[in-house]
Amino acid sequence: MRIRTPKGWELRESAVTPESLYRRRDRRDFLKTLGLGAAGALFLRSAARAADGGFPAAVNGAYPGTGLKVTPYELITHYNNFYEFGLDKADPAVNANKGWQPEPWTVEIGGMVRNPGKWDVEDLIKKFGGIEQRVYRHRCVEAWSMVVPWDGFPLSKLVAFADPQPGAKYLKMTSWMDDKLVAGQQADDGLDGRYVEGLRVDEATHELAFIATGIYGKAIPNQNGAPLRLVTPWKYGFKGIKCIGRIEFTDRAPVNTWQKLARDEYGFYANVNPKVDHPRWSQASERVIGGGLFSGRQSTLMFNGYEQQVASLYQGMDLAKNF
Amino acid sequence: MSPSPAASAASAPSGLDRLFRSKVFVWIVILIPGLYPAWPLFRQDPTVLADPLKYLLHHFGFVACVLLAAVLALTPLRVLLPKWRPALALNRHRRLIGVSAFFYALIHVGFQFLHEGGWPTFWTDIRKPFLLIGSITFLILLVLAVTSFKFMVRWLGGRKWKNLHRLAYLAAFLAACHQAAARKIFPVQVLWIFVPLALLELGRIIRQNSDRAPAISAPRQG
Repeated sequence: MRIRTPKGWELRESAVTPESLYRRRDRRDFLKTLGLGAAGALFLRSAARAADGGFPAAVNGAYPGTGLKVTPYELITHYNNFYEFGLDKADPAVNANKGWQPEPWTVEIGGMVRNPGKWDVEDLIKKFGGIEQRVYRHRCVEAWSMVVPWDGFPLSKLVAFADPQPGAKYLKMTSWMDDKLVAGQQADDGLDGRYVEGLRVDEATHELAFIATGIYGKAIPNQNGAPLRLVTPWKYGFKGIKCIGRIEFTDRAPVNTWQKLARDEYGFYANVNPKVDHPRWSQASERVIGGGLFSGRQSTLMFNGYEQQVASLYQGMDLAKNF
Repeated sequence: MSPSPAASAASAPSGLDRLFRSKVFVWIVILIPGLYPAWPLFRQDPTVLADPLKYLLHHFGFVACVLLAAVLALTPLRVLLPKWRPALALNRHRRLIGVSAFFYALIHVGFQFLHEGGWPTFWTDIRKPFLLIGSITFLILLVLAVTSFKFMVRWLGGRKWKNLHRLAYLAAFLAACHQAAARKIFPVQVLWIFVPLALLELGRIIRQNSDRAPAISAPRQG
């Protein structure tokens, strides 16, 4: 008899929402949830086609998100920090959909790897055996949170495919940005060049690290980072670089965009930590997106609730210093 | 209420002048931004519904900043354009506009309290410089609002009252700093609100100095 020890985040099979019910969670349910009637069809914007490969994705039973209240699709896709397409949270949903098509898309893998090259995203998805769905908590550094059903593939598959050389310690990811500025893209986004994020290779190969190509079983909308977007649920949302165009393996820690802009406020690790405050606000608690006018705050969990899984990555480190 | 011939030669009373004199008009202009949030809530703007408290918090803070800058701009406007009647007309409503800036700031603080989910977070966060600056701004506006009653003006005496109310300039400066720190990167709207005020004040200082200078340096006769 095979005995399997369940992982900390796993839940009983009986706790999983039946797929038929889950699929029915469309925008009308969302409006009902908010108790606001069925008006507002104006805001239904069809997702631009990004990477279409693999849909519908099978739900990965290890990350069902049961017990979590999944954030409505409209809110996930209309409350975005994506400064390249405008500084207000409503801007990206408008500006990123002014005719820009993130398809076809290639991603360049280079640096200290044995398998460098430029790959078509659809080909990569096929190589990685398609996509899967995972429900993750999402905690922004601005002290708000969502629960997002992502579709995509584990980043570890991409790392294995790239085949890093022994000396490679970090991944440096660079966001795409058009030099000629496509419609909607802002020249003065305040970011001082292309968006850069980084991970240690051991963080990138952790089973939670994920590359999203979809949300709610649909191709990921442009404003959420089509076609490739990093998801590291134990870190603040700004680590989740959008529209990844290049991944470079290096032996030096890359300086990520927000660290470059304000190094006393944002660090390289950006692990969710309720005990280390942002200089301007508390990180001990968070507001839940879609909670409405009278919802209170909920306590923020260490590593955003993934402490059991990722704490070992940071053993012996001073997390107040390495924030 | 017919203007003297001299005054009408300077500037004939216009429609704009009459409009700006109207208390009803000023009340409407002041109340519109307070009622405005009903619109995105009504049309269920998903970005607003995502975190309505944060939206309201930012909206009312923004309106308070605009009104504070606006009320302070009225004096230099009158000094720089002494013959432009609409500027004079608007200057009649300085107290109303100033007090409304305070009320919007009060609502802003109320939403901050709700947004923080009550005392514990409100209290720990208020010690951070960004919110401390905002709190000092609010306290100044509170003092100015309380002393804006006519009997308070009489009780304090004109000179004392005027000196006290010069704190409004400090409040505007602090409000600009507070607003500039409210987002992850510098919000350009701060410049739209406070740079025109700074320019008007600069103009007033230059004007008043050049008005005074000849009187001092003019050779005395006899």
